[in-house]
Amino acid sequence: MPPLLRVEGLKVYFHMPRGVVRAVDEVNIYLNKGEIIGIAGESGSGKSTLALGIMRLIMPPGFIEGGNVYFDDTEVLHLPEKVFNSEYRWKRIAMVFQGSMNGFTPVYKIRDQIKEVLEVHGYTGDPDQRVNELMKMVNLDPSIADRYPHELSGGQKQRAFIAMALALNPQVLIADEPTTALDVITQTHIINLLKQLRKELDISIIFITHDIALMSMIADRMYIMYAGRIVEHADTADIVRKPKHPYTKLLMEAVPDPSKDYIKGIPGFMPDLARLPPGCRFQTRCPFVMDICKREEPRLKRVENSEVACWLYG
Amino acid sequence: MSLGDIVIETKDLKVYFTKGGFLSKKSIVKAVDDVSIKIRRGEILGLVGESGSGKTTLGRTTIGLQAPTEGQVIYYNSKGISHLITPKTITKDIRRKLQMIYQDPYSSIDPYMKVYDALRQPLYYAGIRERAEIEEIIHKAFDDVGLPYELLNNYVFQLSGGQRQRLAIARALMMDPDYLVADEPVTMLDASLKGLIVEDLKKINQSRGLSILFITHELPVAKVIAHRIAIMYLGKIVEIGPTKRIMENPLHPYTQALLQAYPRLEPEARDKFFKVNVRELELVWPKSGCKFHPRCPFVMKRCETEEPPLKEVEPGHYVACWLY
Repeated sequence: MPPLLRVEGLKVYFHMPRGVVRAVDEVNIYLNKGEIIGIAGESGSGKSTLALGIMRLIMPPGFIEGGNVYFDDTEVLHLPEKVFNSEYRWKRIAMVFQGSMNGFTPVYKIRDQIKEVLEVHGYTGDPDQRVNELMKMVNLDPSIADRYPHELSGGQKQRAFIAMALALNPQVLIADEPTTALDVITQTHIINLLKQLRKELDISIIFITHDIALMSMIADRMYIMYAGRIVEHADTADIVRKPKHPYTKLLMEAVPDPSKDYIKGIPGFMPDLARLPPGCRFQTRCPFVMDICKREEPRLKRVENSEVACWLYG
Repeated sequence: MSLGDIVIETKDLKVYFTKGGFLSKKSIVKAVDDVSIKIRRGEILGLVGESGSGKTTLGRTTIGLQAPTEGQVIYYNSKGISHLITPKTITKDIRRKLQMIYQDPYSSIDPYMKVYDALRQPLYYAGIRERAEIEEIIHKAFDDVGLPYELLNNYVFQLSGGQRQRLAIARALMMDPDYLVADEPVTMLDASLKGLIVEDLKKINQSRGLSILFITHELPVAKVIAHRIAIMYLGKIVEIGPTKRIMENPLHPYTQALLQAYPRLEPEARDKFFKVNVRELELVWPKSGCKFHPRCPFVMKRCETEEPPLKEVEPGHYVACWLY
């Protein structure tokens, strides 16, 4: 069966006065039906931009400069905006944005805000009943919809926002750092909710986070992103047991883990994406840097069960 | 390193805020409720709790930025003389010895200042105005946090997040403090930087014998840096003890849940991770009894009416729970 969503060679560039920032550069990812994939990387690696690119929500000075996005084998990146908006955005691909729990307008009740989404996208059924259904889906009491956002806790707000994303029965949900502002206990509840939604609604999820440990708890497959490129891709178990790219290894060591006595850092900085050096983008921080890394950029290559872009693997 | 005398002590400290009262119903928020802690010279106490648990308010009160509603904060200087710390009674000399660094390095320092000026200004107000002396102090602080002197002529906005947080630490160190409140100093930083800043603070603690109240919501971060850990929940300390004991033998159901809920890089841990049986936080605070009882998986009749006191269960390890 072909993947539900396929991103090929996606390029999102920002045209800044200091140069062209290549935030997402020739990225390929795919998502199968019913799957949860993870995209991990530190801030500035381009993971949110990738998500916004798929949703076609890039604002100038950013532009989608190349690539294709296939949804069920239909190319959607170059569809007229009107068609994409009426048939895909929110209907088939919905997104929970970073910090979206603060995305509700404080002056309207949750119910009215979800009803507005239903109305704008031409929902034909009874909107009140749909809101109640959605609230139950995310394990909230329907009466909570009649509260104002400030009357909800952080976890409840995040649930309500997920309910809003699910309003039109999307097949794909992109969750961008959905738990970052929540405490760890609430975080597990939100993760459990996403798993439950996948099971009950047969929804596929793209989970974006900087927390590789959290990702390993939910994702079936993982993409590791660095400076606009995917540097490693494999099943979660393979990445966790046998990380290949030096960046993945360092990222895993930097995770605060209650069973470890240390937290390691990754010295150095991500390169300026407007002034990328020739060769590998990780060369400035890599402990294993070689001559070839400074000349030629490595491409993703199959190594055992993983795909990795690193000259260490020939 | 051995721990010395007490530097900061709070006695039955209470900080209440009144909310509403104009158009809405008046309510009292007990940000810090009956907290007694002691921090020794050279000790790092990790204060762990979720947002809204009152950990920042407690930190601010210990350096005299917030007036206590009841109870006391006492500071003992190097000669062992005690001073009562409140915003009214604190003197300039004592304020210098109690410093704080903040969560967000992007808003705690004016980005349009030169780095040198951002450091010179507090020294100026402290009465240090000789150029040579200023430079000596700044250089020493920069050495401690590993920043190159060349950055002194840059503007603050030119610095990266990690450099800014180091600058904030350097600024706090210039006054040669006895006690530092580090309020979520690594929360805003990337995973790659977290470990580096934590190591910096550890080194400074060892080389200067500085006492630190390290506020964080990440238990594993506290584990790495702190000698003792205090777990705070809705204004109360629910468990406090040596780091090793807290991690190996967490007693309070909240502490246990925190440890269990922390994601780990072990695919085998997945099932455990998903079995956290503590309910989500509601915005409604319990009116009586243990503050944790609406979420507690082991709740008993007694928990709903009586608030448990902190009880010593093993040497130095206290817990406030009726299970013990």
